[in-house]
Amino acid sequence: MAKDVIDALLARFPRIVTDAYQGPGGDDVVFVRKDQIVEVCRFLKDDPRMGFNMAPYITAVDYLGQEPRFEVVYNLYATALNHRVRLRVKVPEEDAVLASVTGLWRGADWFERYCYDMYGLRFTGHPDLRRLFMYDEFVGHPLRKDYPLRGRQPLIPEREMPEAFRGPGPAGRD
Amino acid sequence: MAEEKKPEAPAAGVAAAAVKPPPPPTPGPPAPRNPGMVTAVVDGREVVVKPGTTVIEAAQAMGIDIPYYCWHKRLSVAANCRQCLVEMSNAPGGKLMPGCQAPLSEGVVVKTDTPRVKDQQRATLEFLLLNHPVDCSICDQAGECKLQDYYMQYDARPSRLDIPKNVKGKRVELGPTITLDQERCILCTRCVRFMSEVAGNPQLGVANRGTRSVITAFPGRPLDDRYAGNVVDICPVGALTATDFRFRGRVWFMSSARSICVGCSRGCNVSLDYLDTTAYRLRPRENQAVNQEWMCDQGRTTYRPLNVDRVLAARLGRGAGGQAATRDEALAAAGVALAAAKGQGGVAVLLSPAAALEDLLAACHVAKLALGATEVFVGGRPDGWHDDFLKKADENPDRKGVELAAQAYGLAIRPFADLAAAARAGTVRAAWVVGAEVPDAAGAEALALLPVLVVQAVNQAPLAAAATVLLPASPHAEYDGTFVNFEGRAQRFEAAWYPRGDARPHLALCAGVGRALGLDLRWATAREAWLALSPRITGVSIWDFKWDSLPSVGRRKGLLPLAAGTVDGRLAGQRERLAPEGSETAERGVAPTSW
Amino acid sequence: MSSEQSGTLKADAAPAARRPSELDAPMPTKRMLVNLGPSHPAMHGTTRAVVELDGEMLASCKLDIGFLHRGFEKSCENVTWTQCFPYTDRLNYVSSMMNNVGFALAVEKLCKLEVPERAQYLRVITSEIHRICDHLTMVGALGMELGAMTAFLYAIEARDLLWDRITELCGARVTSNYARIGGVSRDLPDGWVEKTVQTLDRAVALRDEIDGLLTRNRIFMDRTRNVAPVSRQDAIELGYTGPCLRASGEPYDVRKAAPYLVYDRLDFDIPVGSNGDNFDRYLIRIEEMKQSDKIVRQCFAQLAPGEIVVTDFRYTLPPKPLVYGTIEGVMAHFKLIMEGVQVPAGEAYSCTEAANGELGFYLVSDGSGRPYKLGLRAPVWPMLASLPWMLRGALLADLVPTFDSINMIGGEVEQ
Repeated sequence: MAKDVIDALLARFPRIVTDAYQGPGGDDVVFVRKDQIVEVCRFLKDDPRMGFNMAPYITAVDYLGQEPRFEVVYNLYATALNHRVRLRVKVPEEDAVLASVTGLWRGADWFERYCYDMYGLRFTGHPDLRRLFMYDEFVGHPLRKDYPLRGRQPLIPEREMPEAFRGPGPAGRD
Repeated sequence: MAEEKKPEAPAAGVAAAAVKPPPPPTPGPPAPRNPGMVTAVVDGREVVVKPGTTVIEAAQAMGIDIPYYCWHKRLSVAANCRQCLVEMSNAPGGKLMPGCQAPLSEGVVVKTDTPRVKDQQRATLEFLLLNHPVDCSICDQAGECKLQDYYMQYDARPSRLDIPKNVKGKRVELGPTITLDQERCILCTRCVRFMSEVAGNPQLGVANRGTRSVITAFPGRPLDDRYAGNVVDICPVGALTATDFRFRGRVWFMSSARSICVGCSRGCNVSLDYLDTTAYRLRPRENQAVNQEWMCDQGRTTYRPLNVDRVLAARLGRGAGGQAATRDEALAAAGVALAAAKGQGGVAVLLSPAAALEDLLAACHVAKLALGATEVFVGGRPDGWHDDFLKKADENPDRKGVELAAQAYGLAIRPFADLAAAARAGTVRAAWVVGAEVPDAAGAEALALLPVLVVQAVNQAPLAAAATVLLPASPHAEYDGTFVNFEGRAQRFEAAWYPRGDARPHLALCAGVGRALGLDLRWATAREAWLALSPRITGVSIWDFKWDSLPSVGRRKGLLPLAAGTVDGRLAGQRERLAPEGSETAERGVAPTSW
Repeated sequence: MSSEQSGTLKADAAPAARRPSELDAPMPTKRMLVNLGPSHPAMHGTTRAVVELDGEMLASCKLDIGFLHRGFEKSCENVTWTQCFPYTDRLNYVSSMMNNVGFALAVEKLCKLEVPERAQYLRVITSEIHRICDHLTMVGALGMELGAMTAFLYAIEARDLLWDRITELCGARVTSNYARIGGVSRDLPDGWVEKTVQTLDRAVALRDEIDGLLTRNRIFMDRTRNVAPVSRQDAIELGYTGPCLRASGEPYDVRKAAPYLVYDRLDFDIPVGSNGDNFDRYLIRIEEMKQSDKIVRQCFAQLAPGEIVVTDFRYTLPPKPLVYGTIEGVMAHFKLIMEGVQVPAGEAYSCTEAANGELGFYLVSDGSGRPYKLGLRAPVWPMLASLPWMLRGALLADLVPTFDSINMIGGEVEQ
């Protein structure tokens, strides 16, 4: 069953899917090129043979010293067909911008905010890309490997109440 | 073809006396596919090497791990530990062959990861551990021990021993610096080979036979060679220990800074192992061009002045009138005293060739521009023993650096004896001493009577005691800098810890003196000083030196593989130590700089 | 409650008193901004909700999390694999052993390690006991949010009795630390099974009591039915897992979808709701407690003696006599403690069914003794993210019960 996903992806996107393998435990893992991630995801979600209607987890990894440096990992799950696939997308440091998949899976919202907060990856088309855990005045991205382990940042001045929301959200949301 | 020849061969042998045999078939070695080179296959990958390359060398070049104990790239091959056995297609009788000894030949297929090889590696380790004492918890080697590494990598099985272990000498004092634990020894004979081949002084040997074999020195003849300390470094297990370092610290807590030995003008590359602000030992760091990977025993003791007898606070006045002062007060006082002395007959500048090139440049800069000096005097430690291996007679690491710095500022260099004579004659009334190391005590006594004596000293010394203004200077473990060795090779060293007490590098103190004398000096770190001052060094080759390119060979990963400068490489309880507020090195390490 | 009225509202209110007829005074229609949390008696966890009130209705709601962020992933990247276990305890601290098990399974997936059968049973037993604890917390607290304090006390009694058994097993009540790479840390104490069966009986009685107090309670039903409903389609799209997803009608449970440990040998059902409202989420948990109870009793019946941890020095510490008595043991101990388990280089995502849903660990190993990357998929994360959407048009009074119905645990969401 699971090999079908890899085969279908390779057949449908021969140039976009750069590599595929079965990882530990038989997980299907596919490398996808950054610029076409939304197209691949849309196919995975909409094609009835795929049916990946859920994105349970999206995260990022910083492979400092490798080129491209970052990687965004999409774990997808199909509830009807009960299979999983993992998409790995390499993201270079100088162009750390991806298209958001929140349009396909609304649940990707906070995962992408997490990637932005912790790794500094930006997602175009995300409705509300703000920091998730850290505060707005925080400098840097803590899960990057070159962020010092004990990097201390100064206290920030207390905010006025009308500015209680963090960050300038898009117009109309606040 | 072989079948055709077979029946003929005995016939030819019988008839050899009578009939001239036909020319023998020449199967011979296959013609090399790459002329002048040997092409072989290791673990399924083709490799082309020079003739005579052993399996282990080829494998290392290919990134394949073959475990070994006795093999060492700078020593002869002994092939006695049997840890590196591999399968080779040309092995006689299909035996496993020692990879350290067997050279690759044309068309040979080597396998290093077959079950047979794995089994052999496991069996060898079990054999080596059979009589090994249960010592890890008290062993200095724990944490950098090849037995531990390979056991987890290649064996990882419980002991099957049910009889008592062999008992041998537990603390055999081979000589003044080396203590041997014969029980831990695996008899790889690296130390024996080192002494006879590298040190050229065969003081070690293997005595007795079988399970009673031990490494030992000859009766009545201690292991007292001046390079004996290297056997500790090359010992793959915890058998040979340095008496000096024994039981003093756990290596996995120690951070390691890439440094230069200051024992002589050779400038051996060393790793400075330290914990908090205390140095524990020096280990040679590989540099084929300078010291290969050896150093002398005297050099190994040069970490001690980093810890003891340090000048850590400034002082104004000498003798009974001396009183403690802050560094800034002392710098201001030095400026006043030197400015006054400049107008009354000038100031003699004494440079120490134990200071770094950046320090000396800074000192020359201030001497030339603020004090109007035309000459500098050179102090430094007196000459010592020398040989034709590593040790040079000049026991100062940076005498060439003095020459470079003085030349850069057009200053004449004069020996210390001239300064002492001038002081005795009364022609010199004031002196600014950058580094209190001086070659003779009598000269120091003469200087001690000068009315104005500004001294920047790392360690307590006669000149430091006699100073009218004493400034605490940092040794090379506390800042980044450069030493230029006897052949003009500039070598970088890196800071290990933040300066102790009130001490600061010479270059910072020189800058302070310069500012007190009215100069506008902006540089605060060695790198800034280098960038500002080094363009003056012209016409002299310092090889292909680049300040920012500290070679990374020998950087120790250790058990806490955190970058030097991150405090978590240190013991619990010492982790909160931060750089002194506003110090030159405050931006290093702890404070976030790089986002 | 720290509340804030906008400036214009105050200006309106003051002259109102001076009007000729107070009866004619217009109702202030300005929306009010209320800042709930981060430290507020009614809030669960240290989360801040900034809600805009239109009268009693929620006009908008914004969540501000991160007050409990303690760098879980960064911490784990800088300690050995084994040292991560105490950090995982602090994720969902109500059901800490499930986190241990989830992390251990993820590492074992990378190591391709087969865990002894008894250890698998022990992991299931502790996980299911903790699932009961977690659901008891949610159920009791939901009653409490609606004013039914009694139910909460019953739930806490049952939970503490179960935690007493956990204490006997691992020495800690809340931050238990039981699973290890390759198995579990210790075997069951003598007589533990019998005691636990008695405790489960007591817990069943208390659970039934809560069931009777709440499930057919008129007030409770009115306050929870059709509050914050989530359709099946929405739940899937929002990435819901666990009881919240099943309350919406999607029967996804990792224990059935991709059975791990010995779940494929056990007989249990996956309860499914229909409306996906607070009442369904409550009912699902009541039912799941019954199923967990069933699982634990089955495990007790099937439990056979055997090893509780793999006997491989590369992954587990040697027994103490070997450490003190043999060089092999002391070396393995030294290397495992100082350098950590050498997990093969690679990456893997492993998920388990924790009390609140899919608990996932995305691990990247560079072959050293420390994780290169440890990504945590906290079960409540997507649910919390969609809370403002769930609460659109709801009453302020429903905010906190809904918060409870997803059983938000700050420890795991905020890492």
